[in-house]
Amino acid sequence: MKKIHRKALSQFLAITTLAGASSLTLAADNIKIALAGPVTGPVAQYGDMQFTGANMAIEMINKAGGVNGAQLQGVVFDDACDPKQAVAVANRIVNEGISFVVGHLCSSSTQPATDIYEDEGILMVTPAATSPDITNRGYELVFRTIGLDSLQGPTAGKYIVEQVKPNKVAVIHDKQQYGEGIATAVRKELTEAGIEVPIFDGITAGDKNFSSLIARLRQSGVDFAYFGGYHPELGLILRQAREQGLNIPFMGPEGVGNSDISAIAGEAAEGMLVTLPKAFDEDPANAHLVEAFKERKQDPRGPFVFPSYAAVQVIADGIRLAGSDDPTKVAEALRSNTFDTPTGKLAFDEKGDLKDFNFVVYEWHADGSKTALTE
Amino acid sequence: MMRNLKPALISAVVVVILSGLLMGIRLSQQGTSLVLVGAGADVAVKIAGAALFIFLFNLFRDQLTALWLKVPALPRTPAAFSILAARPAAHRLFWCFLIAAALIWPFLTNRSNIDLATLVLIYVMLGLGLNIVVGLAGLLDLGYVGFYAVGAYTYALLAMYFGIGFWTGLVAAGAMAALFGFLLGFPVLRLRGDYLAIVTLGFGEIIRILLNNFTSLTNGPNGIGNIPKPELFGLEFSRRASEGAQTFHEFFGITFNSVHRVMFLYFLALLLVLLTLFVINRLLRMPVGRAWEALREDEVACRSLGINPTAVKLNAFTIGATFAGFAGCFFAARQGFISPESFTFIESAIILAIVVLGGMGSQLGVILAAIIMTLLPEVARQFDEYRMLLFGLLMVLMMIWRPQGLLPMKRPHMELRT
Amino acid sequence: MPDWFYYLLQQLLNGLTVGSTYALIAIGYTMVYGIIGMINFAHGEVYMIGSYIAFIVLAALALMGIESLPLLIIGALLVSMVVTSAYGYSIERVAYRPLRGGNRLIPLISAIGMSIFLQNLVRLAQGSRDIAMPNLVRGGLDIGPATGFHATLSYMQIIIFVVTLISMTLLTLFITRSRMGRACRACAEDLKMTNLLGINTNAIIALTFVIGAALAAVAGVLLGMYYGVINPYIGFMAGLKAFTAAVLGGIGSIPGAVLGGLLLGVAEAMTSGYFSAEYKDVVAFSVLILVLLFRPSGILGRPEVEKV
Repeated sequence: MKKIHRKALSQFLAITTLAGASSLTLAADNIKIALAGPVTGPVAQYGDMQFTGANMAIEMINKAGGVNGAQLQGVVFDDACDPKQAVAVANRIVNEGISFVVGHLCSSSTQPATDIYEDEGILMVTPAATSPDITNRGYELVFRTIGLDSLQGPTAGKYIVEQVKPNKVAVIHDKQQYGEGIATAVRKELTEAGIEVPIFDGITAGDKNFSSLIARLRQSGVDFAYFGGYHPELGLILRQAREQGLNIPFMGPEGVGNSDISAIAGEAAEGMLVTLPKAFDEDPANAHLVEAFKERKQDPRGPFVFPSYAAVQVIADGIRLAGSDDPTKVAEALRSNTFDTPTGKLAFDEKGDLKDFNFVVYEWHADGSKTALTE
Repeated sequence: MMRNLKPALISAVVVVILSGLLMGIRLSQQGTSLVLVGAGADVAVKIAGAALFIFLFNLFRDQLTALWLKVPALPRTPAAFSILAARPAAHRLFWCFLIAAALIWPFLTNRSNIDLATLVLIYVMLGLGLNIVVGLAGLLDLGYVGFYAVGAYTYALLAMYFGIGFWTGLVAAGAMAALFGFLLGFPVLRLRGDYLAIVTLGFGEIIRILLNNFTSLTNGPNGIGNIPKPELFGLEFSRRASEGAQTFHEFFGITFNSVHRVMFLYFLALLLVLLTLFVINRLLRMPVGRAWEALREDEVACRSLGINPTAVKLNAFTIGATFAGFAGCFFAARQGFISPESFTFIESAIILAIVVLGGMGSQLGVILAAIIMTLLPEVARQFDEYRMLLFGLLMVLMMIWRPQGLLPMKRPHMELRT
Repeated sequence: MPDWFYYLLQQLLNGLTVGSTYALIAIGYTMVYGIIGMINFAHGEVYMIGSYIAFIVLAALALMGIESLPLLIIGALLVSMVVTSAYGYSIERVAYRPLRGGNRLIPLISAIGMSIFLQNLVRLAQGSRDIAMPNLVRGGLDIGPATGFHATLSYMQIIIFVVTLISMTLLTLFITRSRMGRACRACAEDLKMTNLLGINTNAIIALTFVIGAALAAVAGVLLGMYYGVINPYIGFMAGLKAFTAAVLGGIGSIPGAVLGGLLLGVAEAMTSGYFSAEYKDVVAFSVLILVLLFRPSGILGRPEVEKV
């Protein structure tokens, strides 16, 4: 029996060391960029947007001659937007000796991963995680190419205060990081402007029945409602509000700005207000990219496609400017320069956030289209 | 054969009813309108194939059964081997080998494998803890993840508000989870098995919802970050020591290598698992452990022998919860960040699946199952789409074919020889 | 009448609407439990499948140009009841029958596996995105003053009440008057004895699953039309709530399931109407735990005698 076990063990060890060795055979000329996001899991469709944008950027940059003579190479890592897998992915990235990461997508998986990246000297640019906590911890190597939750709140709040001018506002959220964060920011903005917020309440994401909440909205006499969360819940709230005869305007963050909301809410979606980043795919300067995406039958419209493109590009430009692929030097270059990307001219502040990232207020229509109300 | 024709036809029709509409037609949202899309010829062929298979299977059922009986039974483990395995010395040797392998292994592999192994060990710990409740005491606990969450949040909150270290946190987390187990168990353990299952499920959900809603205390859905990593007798595993502390590499005069920390976490997890194994094995040989199993087998008989079922169940529940608390604390330390979304029902289901797959009550089985359940998704990423589907199917099939699990529990026993 | 009265009425109506669908699903749990003493954890998924079939049928009928509402509803009800019945039957045949008579935990674990399997089967076949359908039934009744707060009762809510009532009546008639119904009750009393008396208990057990599944399909059709949105994950929570309702009313008792469902629906509506929607689920589970603590057999249930 001893023998059997020893043999099995030695075989096992041989296999694992082989697996270890194979990862060491990298091409020396390539600069690897890890693309970390959900390939599987419930939010895989957002991960798709991220990979689409990032891969396009890598290809475009390589076609234009690469960076400092080296080619970029994207390596996809799947974290399924699960915090515990994200840590495993971060360790794998360290293991493979990759020093640049574009990702992660979800704030809750980005946060534990950044601890490892900062510690190991890996530069990370997230194109999608919007929680303010990610850049609040004084990390040097963490950047993002998307606006923060805390930016979207004030934009919406200001618009409500200055343009809508309601008397009483209900603020509702879905008790998730994204929704509650924005809803809290909106409430703060409103109460500071002296607008009464009689209802501030959370619902359960995935719930279908909001009739009791709507009755409460009707009774409290609010004349405007803000919802922090995603489109499935707001769609149902709009639909059931219309059913119960509650005809006040609703407003939501970019998470509700999805054509599905018109399918769910039907006519009740008409006139809904939503804050969205500028639609980069409608920018004439990006027409050639949109063409390239279409050629490959990829959809350029997702909210994370262009920020992911920009994330890869700032890394490439940073390496070029620093003249080295040392992440610390690249981080310095990112902080001290301005980058011309498909999402506009980008500059980073001390924390690693974009200096200005504008959200635009749109009016939504029942057929899923939208018109911009602000610049 | 003709006798089977009617049932065979009926089964074939049932298969078509089951899959025809649900799989043959796909609802799809195009723009704002709902459209029906035919799933294509291949799906229709598959459905027809399945129906035909079921039809033939049922038609030749008797013949198949006869054939099946003719197939010689799987060779049993050779007598020599089983005698060897039954000998306590061999048993001990085997465990020694396993532990030695676990100790040597990290030096031979790379960082991400060690990290993955750490994750496996967390699940081993959880599996072993739940095994006490489900496998040994026979109480189906569907809210085990609640105690895991309590452990993780206890450490995270204590570290955030009072700045305590990992080791104190570990004790506190275990104690807190035990307290929760005791408080929750006290009222509900009088309930019968399946009521208990649903009530514990409810508790697990309540704990998660409360953690999510008490934003002022727990930071709600934003989670808690910057949870300190464990240290070894006051030595930190970081590049630069924080104030008044010393780092591991400075103390031993070696160059800093971040793999040390990953390895340290692994050894720590291994230590916790071994501790868990040790405690459980001791308990099993004590009256309380015997009482658990007796209770699982026959509650009425236990009662008539003077065992207080509620007290014994409460024991099992509390001790099981304690180990979840330890695991939770370690999880929080490994992650450095926790949020309520890590503690959903599906996590409970996975831990339960580990216990069931391994064989209820069997510790080696739990370890094996934890390795399988954690590594499978890593190895078979391309099948990820089907992972949960197969996982569900596996649970059903396991219950039908091998309810005792992969490695059923063996307990030391004497047999009368004639 | 003052505002608060109509507000209370509104919340009561909302609660009863949801509650009556909980009751429909809860009957499936309670009947199965009454006969073989196991929790059919996959029952919630049967409800979800019922919703999907309803959507498919409604979309298909609309494509064919049928616009008459009663025809649409009856068509959706019939087809989805047939399909879910097949599911109920097959689930019992495949996942539970081979396990009968063993340890009680084993069928429960098998049921959890079945639930995960069905959920993912639908996810793979139909995608995990929300599927939405336009409102088929519009408008409703206003109760109360034209100014100030008035309660509204939509026509869809009325349809839910009426269909639930019809289904319940039919079920009661079937259970109390028909031969098969009598056999069902006999099985619930004593399965072995009934078998000895020459009744095919296997068929009766299968029938219980089929009836439960058909009622879940009714709930699936009604709720699918009421909310207009479905996804593969709606079964889990609905099943959990319905099970809670069944236990609340006393598992094994059909009137108990109805009472439990209505109570649970009202409790949820009152929580989100007067306190906070955040704590709706917490209240639902807390009610369950409290009832089990003080009346372990539920409101209308019989105390169980342990048999040796």
